[in-house]
Amino acid sequence: MGFFPNLMKTLYSRSLSLPQNSRRRNQKLSLLISSFTESNKTLIVQTTNSQSTIRSGFRVLKHTLAFSSSEIQTMKVPASFHGLLVPSTGVRCGFCSLAATEPRTSDGLTVNGIVAGRWPILDENEGDWKSHAAAIAQSIQLIKKRLQWKKMIVRLEMLSAELNKADLWDDPVHAGKISREHGSLMGKMKEVNRYERELLEHIDMLKLAREENDGELESESLRALLMMRSSVKEKELEALLAGEQDSCSCFIEVQAGAGGTESMDWAAMVMSMYKSWAECHRYGVTVVDEMPGEIAGIKRATIKVDGEYAFGYAKAEVGVHRLVRISPFDSANRRHTSFAAVAVTPILGDTSSHFQINESDLRIERFRAGGPGGQHANTTESAVRIVHIPTGVTATCQNERSQHQNKAMAMAVLQSRLDQLEMTRQAQLNAQHTQSLTEISWGNQIRTYVLHPYRMVKDLRTNYEVSDPDSVLEGDLDGFILSFLSASLDKDKDN
Amino acid sequence: MNSSLPRTILSTISPYSLAFKRQKLPISTRVSGPVSFPSISSIPSSQKPRIPLFLRPPIFTTSLSDLQKWQQWANNLALSVGSKFVDSDNGPDTNILCREVKWLLEDAVEDKSILCQLVSPENGKLVKLRADLDELYCLWKQRIEERRPFQYIVGCEHWRDLVLSVQEGVLIPRPETELIVDLVSGLVLEEEGLREGIWADLGTGSGAIAIGLARILGDGGRVIATDLSPIAVSIAAFNVKRYDLQDKVEIRQGSWFEPLEDVKGELAGVVSNPPYIPSSQIVGLQAEVGRYEPRLALDGGENGMDDLLHLCEAAALMLKPGGFFAFETNGEKQSKFLLDFMTQKLATNVHNLEAISDFCGIKRFVTGFRR
Ligand SMILES: C[S@@+](CC[C@H](N)C(=O)[O-])C[C@H]1O[C@@H](n2cnc3c(N)ncnc32)[C@H](O)[C@@H]1O
Repeated sequence: MGFFPNLMKTLYSRSLSLPQNSRRRNQKLSLLISSFTESNKTLIVQTTNSQSTIRSGFRVLKHTLAFSSSEIQTMKVPASFHGLLVPSTGVRCGFCSLAATEPRTSDGLTVNGIVAGRWPILDENEGDWKSHAAAIAQSIQLIKKRLQWKKMIVRLEMLSAELNKADLWDDPVHAGKISREHGSLMGKMKEVNRYERELLEHIDMLKLAREENDGELESESLRALLMMRSSVKEKELEALLAGEQDSCSCFIEVQAGAGGTESMDWAAMVMSMYKSWAECHRYGVTVVDEMPGEIAGIKRATIKVDGEYAFGYAKAEVGVHRLVRISPFDSANRRHTSFAAVAVTPILGDTSSHFQINESDLRIERFRAGGPGGQHANTTESAVRIVHIPTGVTATCQNERSQHQNKAMAMAVLQSRLDQLEMTRQAQLNAQHTQSLTEISWGNQIRTYVLHPYRMVKDLRTNYEVSDPDSVLEGDLDGFILSFLSASLDKDKDN
Repeated sequence: MNSSLPRTILSTISPYSLAFKRQKLPISTRVSGPVSFPSISSIPSSQKPRIPLFLRPPIFTTSLSDLQKWQQWANNLALSVGSKFVDSDNGPDTNILCREVKWLLEDAVEDKSILCQLVSPENGKLVKLRADLDELYCLWKQRIEERRPFQYIVGCEHWRDLVLSVQEGVLIPRPETELIVDLVSGLVLEEEGLREGIWADLGTGSGAIAIGLARILGDGGRVIATDLSPIAVSIAAFNVKRYDLQDKVEIRQGSWFEPLEDVKGELAGVVSNPPYIPSSQIVGLQAEVGRYEPRLALDGGENGMDDLLHLCEAAALMLKPGGFFAFETNGEKQSKFLLDFMTQKLATNVHNLEAISDFCGIKRFVTGFRR
């Protein structure tokens, strides 16, 4: 359970280790800030700045900035620049940059410098300041990697360029989308920049306290570092789920592979694994569609998983899952290998980014027993299947109790699948993704579950393995999910 | 008809539905033209609706493992059916019945989330129920052995986005009929005169169409729902109240347009799903329908169109100019007949006549406008 913090909701509210209204501290800080020289580089400030007050009495000036890549790379800011934090007395903040050159302490230390220094990282409760600082610096670096920092900067440039186009608002839907994404990227980047500055400020403060033999301030700074260390650690986890759709609810679909009853039974086991996983994490679970096998198991099934970050986590499960066991359906007690494919699609909250479905492109089929229907028939069967003719994508729902509701649910599934398809197409256009379409929707074999002759579950992507298949089949998937999410982001060499 | 009922069932059916079956018999033998009943102005107070299972208080307790035993027993009964009912009269198969077991449980337990624990029930864990476990045994037996409709067992039907109370004596609304509301909803979006006008749902039964309409009309729009059956009137009133639509839906008891003299020529729309099954086909109906649903709601006379013909003729006079009507029919033959009839006999009053298909592609509805 602890694995699933309510992530980005707290982005601003839980500002990291801002000074705890200590007057003395404020004085010192303003000392540091006074050495701040405004950059004379002109930036294009896109929108008005809104000011939000943070607990400590400092304000964060939230500018929405837009600048071109050359500016990001060439901006030279004096080493003493400390960015966002200004006392609430209203000092004008020339710009509040994100990607500005690396912030430094007064004696020139940078976050990367700290990491490169390889200061030993000790346990939290025995660490000195250097150990805390090193741990924080390392976390910050990991967060950046997970956020795909470099790609993020490139993307931000692209969005900024778009936002600067004079005809942007000719297409308000597109414009809204661009500016929302821009805003959300800015938010994430600013947050990281803030950690960097705060880390260095704490270090500065600590050194200052030592110089002045101010024991109280020194221990306060040390405490602040320690606090920051643990909250940044938490952020590492959150950064795993920084994707645009990660916070969405989702549909999980399981399909039995070839192989008759044995593989249908396996598909049912996989589905119940996800149901337990979702229930364990207090997600809402609704069965949308279920096609039972003739003897046992399911041919396919879809569930809706409701709750924050359901998609972000569940997307790690996309792919083919393989089972090796002695089949209970084989009277000769032979060992069988069967497959079940898992697809996960996000339920986009932001309707403006939905793929536009034309009613006329749909074929809506309803299942009904033969006969004349109407008043002649009594049935509780009201399944609905919707086919999107141009793409051939279909969605079925038969678990609601009225046809109307089944249709609404099937439409939601269809929308989610088409959104996914569209996102994949877009991603390919943007050439950011190299995955093929089939890989995204059904994926390759990702995991093997062996029940016989030995017992093991192993993820083929991360080599993460567990020797107790029962716990996994009962829904304990967090280890697999998190190791995959971090592996896929952390290994990325570009960041 | 009655003689084909097992004795045990007779006792589960409210006397009213039987009374209507008897009342209706002479009507179904009539040659043409509907027989008008005198309007009954006061609703008999004895027609107290039964509370649907899901709305009853959870005053019973059982252990999770006993509930699991019930579930296994119920599923086994469902399994024993196989395709027997499908083969005999297009009735439900095992799959459908197993799903009904799940829904019956959902309606019966106080806390649905407990149902996922039924797979491996914790020892001694208790569940709150809205019906005694014995009653659940009894109900499911009725479902399988006597073919009592699932909707009467749980006392409700999910229709569109509504959950409507139903019981013996009232027709269980059909999924096909959902489309009538969709048809109207397309129209009222465009036309204020229709959106804010008075609509009539004739033979409202559980009140399904009337409530569906009331929820898509504008603030000024109203629905008058009529039915001849006192039990339908009281169930419809119950459902209207449950959706808090007393100000928007008025229920009147009486035959077709008779209770609507005061709004003659003023109606923005008239919709109805009148009885349309030819009398001769009543005996061969699916058990759930023929044995349990009120004949008054099903039997449309010799060719099934007694009531439809009356409605088509009268609607032309009751509607205001530009007013819309939609009637559900038995399908292709009736729809075609009614369109021809109106084109030939009523063309001066109505136009834009259309036969509209249901989701199975059967021409299920006739629609048109008053000139
Ligand atoms: C097929 S049911 C339709 C019920 C409901 N409108 C629905 O669609 O679920 C027909 C309804 O017409 C009512 N009915 C039959 N004869 C009637 C008459 N002469 N006047 C008014 N209602 C009548 C029946 O009581 C029954 O409720």
